[in-house]
Amino acid sequence: MKLSDLKAGETGVVKNVLGSGAIHTRLLSMGILPGAVIRVVRTSPLGDPVIYEIRGFFISLRKKEAEYVEVDKIVPLHLVPPGSDVHVVLVDGGVGFIRNLNSMGISIGKKIKVVERCCPMRIRTDLGEFTIGMGMAYRIYVR
Amino acid sequence: MLVAIAGNPNTGKSTIFNELTGAHQHIGNWPGVTVEKKEGEMSFEGERIRVVDLPGTYSLTAYSLEERIARNFIIEEKPDVIIDVIDSSNLERNLYLLTELMELSDRIVVALNMFDEAKRKYKIDVNKMSQLLGIPVIPTVATRGFGISDLQKVIVKGEFKIKKFEYPSDVEERIKKIENEIEEMGLKNARWHAIKLIENDVDVISKFRNEKKILHLAEHMRHEIEDIYGGDIETLMTSFRYSFAHGLFHEVAERINVGGVTITDMIDYVVAHKIFGIPIFLAVMYLAFNFVFLVAAPFQDIIDFAFNGKDVAGGHINGLIDISYMWMSSFLPQWASSLINYGILRGLAAVLTFTPIIMLLFLVLSILEDSGYLARVAFLMDRITRKMGLEGRGIIPLMLGFGCNVPAVMATRALKNEKERKLSMALNPLVPCGARIQVFAFITSIFFTNNQALVLWSLLILSMIVVFVMGFIYSRTIFKGEGEPFVMELPPYRVPTLKGITVHMWEKSEGFLRKAGTIIVGAATIIWFLAALPWGVKYGSPQSYIGQIAFLIAPAGKYLGLTPQAIIALIFGFFAKEVVIDVLFVLYGTKGAIAIAMTPLQAYSFLLFILFYTPCVATLATIYEEAKSLKFVTFVVLEGLLLAIVFSFAAYTIGLALGVGT
Repeated sequence: MKLSDLKAGETGVVKNVLGSGAIHTRLLSMGILPGAVIRVVRTSPLGDPVIYEIRGFFISLRKKEAEYVEVDKIVPLHLVPPGSDVHVVLVDGGVGFIRNLNSMGISIGKKIKVVERCCPMRIRTDLGEFTIGMGMAYRIYVR
Repeated sequence: MLVAIAGNPNTGKSTIFNELTGAHQHIGNWPGVTVEKKEGEMSFEGERIRVVDLPGTYSLTAYSLEERIARNFIIEEKPDVIIDVIDSSNLERNLYLLTELMELSDRIVVALNMFDEAKRKYKIDVNKMSQLLGIPVIPTVATRGFGISDLQKVIVKGEFKIKKFEYPSDVEERIKKIENEIEEMGLKNARWHAIKLIENDVDVISKFRNEKKILHLAEHMRHEIEDIYGGDIETLMTSFRYSFAHGLFHEVAERINVGGVTITDMIDYVVAHKIFGIPIFLAVMYLAFNFVFLVAAPFQDIIDFAFNGKDVAGGHINGLIDISYMWMSSFLPQWASSLINYGILRGLAAVLTFTPIIMLLFLVLSILEDSGYLARVAFLMDRITRKMGLEGRGIIPLMLGFGCNVPAVMATRALKNEKERKLSMALNPLVPCGARIQVFAFITSIFFTNNQALVLWSLLILSMIVVFVMGFIYSRTIFKGEGEPFVMELPPYRVPTLKGITVHMWEKSEGFLRKAGTIIVGAATIIWFLAALPWGVKYGSPQSYIGQIAFLIAPAGKYLGLTPQAIIALIFGFFAKEVVIDVLFVLYGTKGAIAIAMTPLQAYSFLLFILFYTPCVATLATIYEEAKSLKFVTFVVLEGLLLAIVFSFAAYTIGLALGVGT
């Protein structure tokens, strides 16, 4: 789907950036690259442009520009209702963070179940049941 | 020694520049464009160092004017040191530019600016960062002057053993092949050129247009890389650089808190709200305007009174100019005394009366900009202004125009796109400034006593429609943009510093006084000559050159319903619009005489002419200073005259045909 199809509050992971020339390079140099997580923050009074959050900062894109960005919709783990089974698609963090999650059986492609949402969050993985902080859940994206 | 300052927009680049150079700086434009160029000098242990502030950019591609200026400067002028100013609270994206700079230079100093703000988000290991990069990394808080002396020290004495980041080995191999070929040509920056050739950079490709062999090799390498990694080359190369930035970021920074609602989120929730956003913006502008004019008006009145005196019932209170004229006339020929006082000195007084309003408008504008609110205005208004070919920030100069076109034209700098800036400058004079509205109020009070408000409204509404329509037309014809994307960062809200605001205010006002001021005084002198010559005539009378010109064009003026006296007033109005009232008084004598000299229809046609015709000399001088193009100034003059003629003629002809107001 296109980035412009996501609604306020929704999150996507960038699949591809289309277009050429100025628009293409500008989007890329702002860090809108395959694999990057992008969240729709709010839309303007007339629905266009829209503010997005990417890599920890905010940018405003016109609809025309957002149409160049192909995304897959994903959900940060902290928004997943208890009882659901989900697949991990992305982990946003450094090596240490990823290693830490791996030790709990959380890695890209793995299936996990949210047992209790808050607080702290309890999840079940292949390796058993674990408790994770909301700050961590915020950086784990699932589908 | 030459130092260039690079960095993303909104990182405090200018503040670092100001802190380094102090008062020794010069502000101008980059050759041929309206992009601001700041140059200054700093001295360290007796060494004088030239410092150039490059335009703020997110990367160094060939697709934007600012980025081309920045990279061409680095390639051509070869600065001894580049300072990369980084917003430490937004480390990852800011490090991306560093990866590009590293391909152009070995001698880079990283200034981790806004370090205090960053400390609330992450723990940054500065030493580790410096070690990993092999270049000096200095934490700074430029607004408080923190870290500046360290920065100065490493510029001169720093150790540079840069560890360049590397692309994956199968990409590096291919870069190397092209690099070798380029080195054989004896060209500097071989690696950078090789990378850009692979990336299909339009400028570098055209630079090598005669090197078919290299171009061919680059194309081959490009396709190989695209095949290996899958995807287009630009995305791939940017991804490689970003993953370095991403990796470095995670190596040196540790997040303290993640998520949660920030203050910026909370403010944006209200200020950028779907429903309340625009009303809040209008209220902010209303308050800002009231503040500016409330505070500026008494200063302007005092300056005006001090120089020009005041007409009161049954006489005239002498101002400094009158007094100086009388004094000088005692030892100078009368014409010389008149030239000095009523020509030059009066021009100087005009410049001075502009100053308070310019300073105050820029005070307000700096607060809006430095706080981060201006970016929100752009976000809110973009959909509306886009129809006129302007991004959202374009609304600000247009609104300022109702106060005074001079600071409004200066405020077009807020627009980052060259084409949009020029478009905005061409539209601005069509917005009636305070002085013109003052003239409207005076004339309508004579001719339209019963429906004064309605006539005034009709003029204001008409001007808004014309601005909108002209914007619509221009943006699709002469000022057609190349579709540059409007990808705008919304910086977090920050409390503006007093120093930042005053520096900005002073820069603007000083620039106006020195540069535009000279042109205004010159124009005042020319007008004096036209009004005083030939010798012996009464100043500004029908016998003077101005009068003669007016009578010469009077037959044409008839079609617009303009009397010769009205034409004289219009010519003087070129100097400053409010002068139109004074001249009408001088030529006709009394309010009653003015009332019978024109029909209401003629008066309305006169008003329409004033609404659109040539902006005052101060505005033109400012446009010249901003655009540095006489051609563009001529265009603005002709645009105004043409619109004025069209509207006056149409109104007068239709009015006559319908028998309205005759």
